Amino acid sequence: MKAFLAALLCALAVPALAADTVKIALTGPYSGGSAPMGTSTRDGSKLAIAEINAAGGIQIGDKKMKIEIIERDDEAKNERGALIAQELASMADLSGVIGSVNTGVVMAGDKHLQEKGITKIICPAAGSASMTQWAKPDGPTELSIFRFAAHDGIQAAMVVEEALRLGFKKVAIFYDSTNYGVSGRDDLLNQIKKQGDKLEVVASEKWNIGDKDMTAQLLKAKAAGAQAVLIWGIGPELAAIANGKAKVGYNVPLIGGWTLSMSNYIDNAGANGNGALMPQTFIEEKGISPKIDKFINDYHASYKVERIPSPVSAAQGYDAVLIFVEAIKQAQSTDSRKIKAALEDLKTPVKGVIATWTKPYTKWDRSNVETHEAFRRAQTVMGKVQDGRVTFSNPADRDRLKAQAAK
Amino acid sequence: MPESIIAQMAVSGALMGLVYALIAYGFQLTFATSKSLNFGQGELVMVSAFFSLTLLTLGLPYLLVVPAGLLFGAAVGMAVERTGVRLALEQRSEGWILLTIIIGLFLFSFAENIWGRDDRPFPTPIPSTPFHVFGVDVTPLEISVLVGVLAVMGMIELFKRQTLLGKAVEAVAADRDAAELMGISATRTVVLSYALSGGVAALAGILVSPITTVGPTMASALVLKAFSVAVVAGLESGFGVVVIGLFLGALESLASFYLGSGWREAPGLILLILALAVRPTGVFGKAVIRKV
Repeated sequence: MKAFLAALLCALAVPALAADTVKIALTGPYSGGSAPMGTSTRDGSKLAIAEINAAGGIQIGDKKMKIEIIERDDEAKNERGALIAQELASMADLSGVIGSVNTGVVMAGDKHLQEKGITKIICPAAGSASMTQWAKPDGPTELSIFRFAAHDGIQAAMVVEEALRLGFKKVAIFYDSTNYGVSGRDDLLNQIKKQGDKLEVVASEKWNIGDKDMTAQLLKAKAAGAQAVLIWGIGPELAAIANGKAKVGYNVPLIGGWTLSMSNYIDNAGANGNGALMPQTFIEEKGISPKIDKFINDYHASYKVERIPSPVSAAQGYDAVLIFVEAIKQAQSTDSRKIKAALEDLKTPVKGVIATWTKPYTKWDRSNVETHEAFRRAQTVMGKVQDGRVTFSNPADRDRLKAQAAK
Repeated sequence: MPESIIAQMAVSGALMGLVYALIAYGFQLTFATSKSLNFGQGELVMVSAFFSLTLLTLGLPYLLVVPAGLLFGAAVGMAVERTGVRLALEQRSEGWILLTIIIGLFLFSFAENIWGRDDRPFPTPIPSTPFHVFGVDVTPLEISVLVGVLAVMGMIELFKRQTLLGKAVEAVAADRDAAELMGISATRTVVLSYALSGGVAALAGILVSPITTVGPTMASALVLKAFSVAVVAGLESGFGVVVIGLFLGALESLASFYLGSGWREAPGLILLILALAVRPTGVFGKAVIRKV
């Protein structure tokens, strides 16, 4: 009996020793229609974490602490997201959270984390509402939620810019009925107004998640004479639109959110998917810089794939971890509130695969949502789907990135 | 609005409606002989599609995949009959309702665990580049649905009318007790009808997958509509499901065009309510007088 008790005590003591780790939670949809983004983010983050752990961990005081991952699949369901956020918020020794793909999940869950002061970097959910929900006159003065993704405000601006650059006058706006789609539509309408009201919206059509037949929406846009379809949705339905477009003989480009680069869009649309244009923060293409080549090679080798399911998510997941870890080093603590303070005033630039991040965030100001947004227009390029891959739509962007990397 | 667009909408929708008709036909087949339905028919469509996709990715040619898929569907159909329906029927209970739903749920988890939760493309040699007939764009893929549905339904109807075994099916459908007195095994006939119904479901899966992609939830919407088609048409008439299927498909398509994409399902549901209120035996159904 005594021996048993001793063994039990030992077993109980192990978690206490495990306090020598930094606990970071990774969340996102690892199954379903949003899975390419969720798994790529997670796997990109894990790549960074593995590198840090292989080097011994993070130096905090006189100790080197390894990172321990807590992984949760929210299945892109808002109610799952809320449950997971509640669970994470109740963990006493959690340093922070990185993840979330779906705007609805963010809206359902983040309030629980904010309440307990748990630092979260939203990555790669891009819907504007995820951050603007805090940026109100009566919003919080301290915010522990940050975002690491080119938010839809930037993306919508680029989409409208691109439509104008290509000389279109009449466009259709297509969107899905989720929080993401509807807020994307609003961003597009705002941007069209902002950029001089030069585009006439001749059709505004929506669909539900799971819809496969988009003939009605497409024929409406075609009959109205739309020269391009500005679109906000996720992979499987975007593919259904691309296929439907070919079927009804409606040959206009799709220009839309970065979700047009998802593998389930590219694969399910096949040749019909070619020519789709979308903002990208990262293009899976070698030869730009050794750091990018190494990241792509490591990802392919670690997860045994020839193509990253969602390169943007993977690269953002990777860089988000590097930034978070830099904040831990600066804070010299695993306390989530101290990490938040460090993130708001990061002293050392972080060399990531997307860019070198110099002061990505500043002190939260509820009248300026950009204080907790890392991406600006400059870190984003226009991508184009070509034969099963995403390439640079504008070759000048490739040269610009190469020049930046060479500096 | 130009007529060509209306025609295009109607034709595209109607061809999709044929898939509803095919699944509805699967309901009819088993209902005729056993007065029972497989409420997991949608899951049968889905697992058969996944099975066929697996054969395709293993490198089997499409022309072999189709019969293999049909056989698989028939086998699953028979398994459903054995495990979910037979005992309930012998006990004259309605247990088959719950049992077939449970088998459907089981097939769903089975598919999620084996093939994952993602939607996958279904490669097919039938091209999807449209051609132009009478001012309407149609793809060979849609034509394959038309041909496949009509061919299989025609064959089964011929089988029921021309062969001895088929006549046995008809006899059991007409009067189970009288047929048994004539030496026809009702149990075996019910098994046969479940096998046919499973094969039909598999065909629906194979035909629709290239258009909708394959995923665990692919048939959940389809099967509900197929059920409306079966009820509106009546659970007796094979010809009826084709007509109602075409009609409902076209109606959905036109509704989403004129009323907006959010209203797509509404006319179908109204039609269902009307049919149940006005003609509970279905538009093409025969009122049966039960002698007590």
